Amino acid sequence: MSATIRITVNGIPENVPSSATLADLIDLFHEMDRDLIVEHNGRFVFPQDYSVTQVAGGDRVEFIHPNFGG
Amino acid sequence: MLSDEEARRYSRQMQLPEIGLEGQARIAAGRVLVAGLGGLGSIGAYYLAAAGVGHLRLVDRDRVALENLNRQILHASTDIGRPKAASAAEKLSCLNPHCRFEAIETDIGEESVESLTEGCSAIFDATDNRATRQVLNSASVKKGVPFVYGGITGWEGMASTFIPGRTPCFSCLFPSTAESIAVEPPPALGPTAGLVASLQCLDTLRLLVGLVPRLAGRLLRFSGATMEFHLLPIDRNPHCPVCSCRQHHSSP
Repeated sequence: MSATIRITVNGIPENVPSSATLADLIDLFHEMDRDLIVEHNGRFVFPQDYSVTQVAGGDRVEFIHPNFGG
Repeated sequence: MLSDEEARRYSRQMQLPEIGLEGQARIAAGRVLVAGLGGLGSIGAYYLAAAGVGHLRLVDRDRVALENLNRQILHASTDIGRPKAASAAEKLSCLNPHCRFEAIETDIGEESVESLTEGCSAIFDATDNRATRQVLNSASVKKGVPFVYGGITGWEGMASTFIPGRTPCFSCLFPSTAESIAVEPPPALGPTAGLVASLQCLDTLRLLVGLVPRLAGRLLRFSGATMEFHLLPIDRNPHCPVCSCRQHHSSP
């Protein structure tokens, strides 16, 4: 069994694989929205950086869904 | 120069040292494209007209429908079936006869956006989909016209102000151009639209007056379900298909 770390996703504590990247978390949490915004420890992350940004224990990740209604 | 009537009309906002007589003159010289006259546009256009923005270009392709009226408070039950642009211009003319209103019933697309944004000092986004916002954003970047974005879904809303060349653009934040697969319109609550449009108005007025827009480089999110506001700093995306490529293309 691979090691896990504890992070906070959308305010909820979660155990995830210790080597997880943001791209892995998007898969893991089934975030299918093409217009998803990812906030990592209070910082906005560009989509091209999802696969190279690893999370660490204690990190906070927010998956933000766009508001396009008017 | 303001008439006595105008000086009284705007006296309370001119008390603000950031506005004053000079700021009011700048507001009067402003020309704003209000893109959409639904939930966001109803409130946006109303406050901008009330504040004395000299020229509002009111654009919407739709007609007033019964299910609009929970939030689109510029329109009344007697307006059902009328073009939203004409309905809006009528109400706004009653509110402030000193402003010029152009009611345009058209689709905002690649072809129309050039003329719709012509001569504008700001674009007030009150549309209801990503594709139209991307069309407006491209025009904003191309012409150097600030784009004040707002959007809502049910209890939640977000807003940001995009200043070409200085801040991220809409496509830095939402680069996807994939067709949206929405099957039905999202939930929409009047006060959420009112709040987000009010935030957009504050930044639009700041822009017109010459103050720093506070949502430049920041995405403000609001949840009416938790009553929480959240500010997220955003940067220009070096891979942005709109505001970065353009610079690459223009270099020899």
